[in-house]
Amino acid sequence: MKILVIEDDSSTAAYIGRGLKEQGHVVDHAATGRDGLFLAGGEHYDVIVVDRVLPGCDGIGLVRTLRTTGIKTPVLFLTTLGRIDDRVEGLEAGGDDYLVKPFAFSELLARLAALTRRPPLGEAAPVLCVGDLVMDLKARSVTRRGETIALQPKEFQLLEYLLRNVGRVVTRTMLLEHVWDFHFDPRTNIVETHVTRLRAKIERGHGERLIETLRGIGYVIRAPS
Amino acid sequence: MFRTASFRLAALYTVLFTVSALLLSVVIFWIVRGTLDQQIRTRIMAESAALQAEYDAGGVAALVASVRTRELSPGAFDYLVQSPDGTRLAGNLPTIARTGWIELTVDGETGRQTEQHGERPERIRVLVTPLAGGLLLAVGDDLSRIAAMKDAVIAASSLAVGLVVLAGILGGGVLSRAFLRRVDTITSTAQAIIDGDMQQRIPLRGTDDDFDQLAAILNKMLDRISALMGRIRNVSGAVAHDLRTPIARVYHDLDAAQTHAGTPDEFRAAMENAKSGLIAALETFSALLRIAEIEAGTRRSRFRRLDMSAMAIEVADAFAPSIEEEHHGLHLDIEPGIEIEGDRELLTQLLANLLENAMRHTPPGCEITISLRRQDQGALLVIEDDGPGVPDDERSRIFEPYYRGGKPLAAPGSGLGLSLVAAITELHHAALAAHNARPGLRVEILFPRVVAPPRS
Repeated sequence: MKILVIEDDSSTAAYIGRGLKEQGHVVDHAATGRDGLFLAGGEHYDVIVVDRVLPGCDGIGLVRTLRTTGIKTPVLFLTTLGRIDDRVEGLEAGGDDYLVKPFAFSELLARLAALTRRPPLGEAAPVLCVGDLVMDLKARSVTRRGETIALQPKEFQLLEYLLRNVGRVVTRTMLLEHVWDFHFDPRTNIVETHVTRLRAKIERGHGERLIETLRGIGYVIRAPS
Repeated sequence: MFRTASFRLAALYTVLFTVSALLLSVVIFWIVRGTLDQQIRTRIMAESAALQAEYDAGGVAALVASVRTRELSPGAFDYLVQSPDGTRLAGNLPTIARTGWIELTVDGETGRQTEQHGERPERIRVLVTPLAGGLLLAVGDDLSRIAAMKDAVIAASSLAVGLVVLAGILGGGVLSRAFLRRVDTITSTAQAIIDGDMQQRIPLRGTDDDFDQLAAILNKMLDRISALMGRIRNVSGAVAHDLRTPIARVYHDLDAAQTHAGTPDEFRAAMENAKSGLIAALETFSALLRIAEIEAGTRRSRFRRLDMSAMAIEVADAFAPSIEEEHHGLHLDIEPGIEIEGDRELLTQLLANLLENAMRHTPPGCEITISLRRQDQGALLVIEDDGPGVPDDERSRIFEPYYRGGKPLAAPGSGLGLSLVAAITELHHAALAAHNARPGLRVEILFPRVVAPPRS
């Protein structure tokens, strides 16, 4: 994956750059909004990471400029501005995701992966599957080895989100945001308990594990090897 | 003193009174003059008629004799008897060629026997009557009475204007001095507060006039500011403690690891501790920022009409497995389709915080009830538990920042969850109350009724 990081703080930029390179990604770094805009306009990137507060140019303005020039590269805002209005403003300007500093690196990786492999809108497959588990989005049904599994609406949504990210790590906060629309961190382990219930329904008595827990990071659903 | 509002008002009124006094004088002058003139004409006509009658009875000789006699009496008219060839037969007026009403200006030395006004020319109103045989009879009366009256009116109105101006200046001065005294007390109080004495208040006079009302309002405002400052002082003290404690812990962990840790595992454990300490500090920080954001009130611009019933069920569903896992019971009593105006994200957080509060402060086996009902005044949200509750004297304080039910500050949790609830409630103009559920805690939030028509 080719990633552009627009970040003025050299220590943060080095941290992100090193981590992404270790994962085998190609990283370009711009320290100012102007340089970032120049690079983003000239080359193709799979995803752009933008700080909101940049010397010379606001991150919001930068993304707005990118979008008006027709560049649709997914953008993730990485910022210390964590108010609700800040996030809404960032997403309205054309950002695709918003991550507040400080962040766990695994969180950034998971979100970047989700952004880059997001299927284009309107092409959502009517059926999602992993291994012998099949989710029919039209009929709102889930079957495993042909056996129908009854799920609560939230459990269905949770499974759907995991299936849309098959093979990729999905973090706790990503699930809170996408499944429950919770943009704050509850102190209660609501994600864990729901995943446990979902697991009980789709795994128990049906064979191999599908959902893998990555301690302290999140979950990943993949076909048993 | 001359710059005070009351002095300017007094000056304005002085000008107004002066102008109206002048107008009154002018009107009086015109009316009196008209009346006097009419009187003069009437007298002249009567005299002319009398003389004409004498002429008709006794001819020219009788007329001339009568005129000469009349001329001598005090306050007499001016006369002229003129022959057809234009010679003056009797009287002291100059010869005249016209008939009817005329006005003459003659020198003081026209030979009138009555008192003269020095060198001042005299204006005379004259009626010239043609007599049979071509004679002319003129009878005149001087207009000095009108001039005298004019002088009197001018003198009177000057005096009146002078008095009005004097009274205006004096009154304005007295008023503005009284005004300044009141303003000075407010100014000196404000100055004392600026200099740091927040306890100063503006003294009331007990007259309940507009100044007293203003002073009372200002005092009320000062009380509110004092209370807020007190709260900020408390909070900033707690913030300093809450942020300093985890940072200090992190520092000590790292310091100890540097000195004592030998194996990579020990280092890793120290770093893990340090990270969780920093996360705790960040959580407090975010909660404070969010409260500040909510209290700023700017999110009201993003209010939407929301189905509160659906939201409550959704949040309850999200927490249900966790509540069950902690061996609590959850009971829902939610009337469907209740709408309120609000911010979805913040209301979700409000529900979550209240539920978590109920979970955290009750022993296993307790029942948590969420109810939402329509009421006359709006929608009443109730979160109730049957746990140990909160002592009566502390119940009003649970929404204060850093209240932890008598536990030391170091107890887990940011201590801001219910403060956030209070801030969100206030943002929605809702009423928040905590009651004794005998046993347990019952938190009631009354959302105002939605008045606007539904959005299409």
